[in-house]
Amino acid sequence: MALKAAGSLVTVLDPRGQPTNVIEPLALAPRLDSLEGKTIHLIDIGFGGGWEFLEEVVAWFARTMPSVKTVLRHKTGNMFLDEPQMWQDARTEAHAVIFGVGG
Amino acid sequence: MRLRFSYAPYPLVGRPREVLRRYVEGNDPVTGKPLMEQVVAALTRPLSPEEQNPKAARGAPRPRLLRPDREESLHQLFLESGWTDGAPIILPTEERVAHMLTGTGADPDEIVGRMTVTIHQEKLEYTVEKVAISAVMAGAGPEHLPVILALAASEEASMPSSTTSFSRMAVVNGPIREEIGMNSGLGALSPFNHANTVIGRAWTLMTMNLADARLGETFMASLGSNLNYNNMTFAENEERSVWEPFHVRHGFKKEESTVSVFQGWSAINSMGAAGCCRPAQEETLIMMQAFPCLKESLTLVMDPLVANHLVEQGFDRPDKLSTYLCENFEMTAGQFWGSDVVYSLVEPFARSGMEPFASWLKLPKDAVIAPYTSPEKINVVVVGGETQALWLTTDMWHSKTVSIDRWRPKSGVFREDDQSERRRAARQKRHAAALSRSGYRI
Repeated sequence: MALKAAGSLVTVLDPRGQPTNVIEPLALAPRLDSLEGKTIHLIDIGFGGGWEFLEEVVAWFARTMPSVKTVLRHKTGNMFLDEPQMWQDARTEAHAVIFGVGG
Repeated sequence: MRLRFSYAPYPLVGRPREVLRRYVEGNDPVTGKPLMEQVVAALTRPLSPEEQNPKAARGAPRPRLLRPDREESLHQLFLESGWTDGAPIILPTEERVAHMLTGTGADPDEIVGRMTVTIHQEKLEYTVEKVAISAVMAGAGPEHLPVILALAASEEASMPSSTTSFSRMAVVNGPIREEIGMNSGLGALSPFNHANTVIGRAWTLMTMNLADARLGETFMASLGSNLNYNNMTFAENEERSVWEPFHVRHGFKKEESTVSVFQGWSAINSMGAAGCCRPAQEETLIMMQAFPCLKESLTLVMDPLVANHLVEQGFDRPDKLSTYLCENFEMTAGQFWGSDVVYSLVEPFARSGMEPFASWLKLPKDAVIAPYTSPEKINVVVVGGETQALWLTTDMWHSKTVSIDRWRPKSGVFREDDQSERRRAARQKRHAAALSRSGYRI
């Protein structure tokens, strides 16, 4: 199945899959006016170095914004699993959340 | 949803504490602004209207045909768009794709599945025709299409995006191996056989175009893996194996044709004949020390001579070998927990109380554990030409076995024209004669 002579136009099929367009975006959580006196959860999702980095973030808050209460946590399941309890805890126990990735 | 990200310098893992402190007190390398000021601002800056009511990013349907162009321009387009593996491709003209589709009984518009290389990215959907396009590009013939469709139906990408650089393996079982001329014997894992080569290559072209693997965007493997050029694709040497074929041990009938897909990172060659100084099962225990024991899985890829040797050692079934390896392999708790992937993927479950990991996490570093607890996760595949009793020990886990027969044409398999059949038969005859001269018993 040779192509036409050089110089003529050739028609080929698009090799790419079709977008499924199934993801519905969510709005971001409302922001805080200030972090003064607020509780922030710092959640390490499990990549190497993330926990130690977030410990330094905790230390930064203690030095720079001492009224902020920080709670450092490991994500319970690994980083590829959803964790409804983590989201629930954040809603009820924290004013804001910082996720730390590391790696 | 566009999240508010801030970036620290990379990597963080293994960096001294004072370096991490400097990162926290320093600037975001992407924006050049103080990192923690940016984090505080991300938590307190009011939401924009777009953040409050984000619009869904909608990809436009891709047209069936690309704009007509000259042949060399189209080759350039495919190369520069990242639709190829860098080697020359066959352009998927309508005529060629139509010819490819004679290799299956499935409707060209039938949806085969959805795939992505990363869970953070929306999947793409593909039809039988889209799979046939990748098959043409890879240089496959219609006779190879049922196997390629089965790989597509697995909905597993050949290059899952991980900075750790995954590798893949595809093992074909059943009558189709012979019908389409796959190599299960001498040099089956080397680049000599058309079917082995193009089927494995098509899996990676599908991953680029049907699972949206884009370097630096959706694909971030730091080293990458050159195994992905054809993904260790071969047929099991059922005829020379002393054991039941792999697919039969996983619930399929011997007369069914299947492709089994595996995922992991590494393969270690035994670099010496089984039984020379140590029996193969003992040598395997040594090679296993190189792996992190993630998912408790291994796959041994062995020459028929090794399987014979193992039968002589008392392993008349492969599951007995798997049980032996589980019962006799040991490593220290310190070695197990000291692996980055085990820390990242297993330790979270230990911290949440899952056994036996929770107990192992409490052990002193020099305590000895037997981390492979599930013999069914240690797989054995037989392949090779019996010129040396070698085997590969891989860290691959078996993720799925998919039926090929569902994708065959009514005639069973696409038949080449007589001239091609004669050429293939002549090649096989020359191959057999060469083996016979070397004393190989066919």
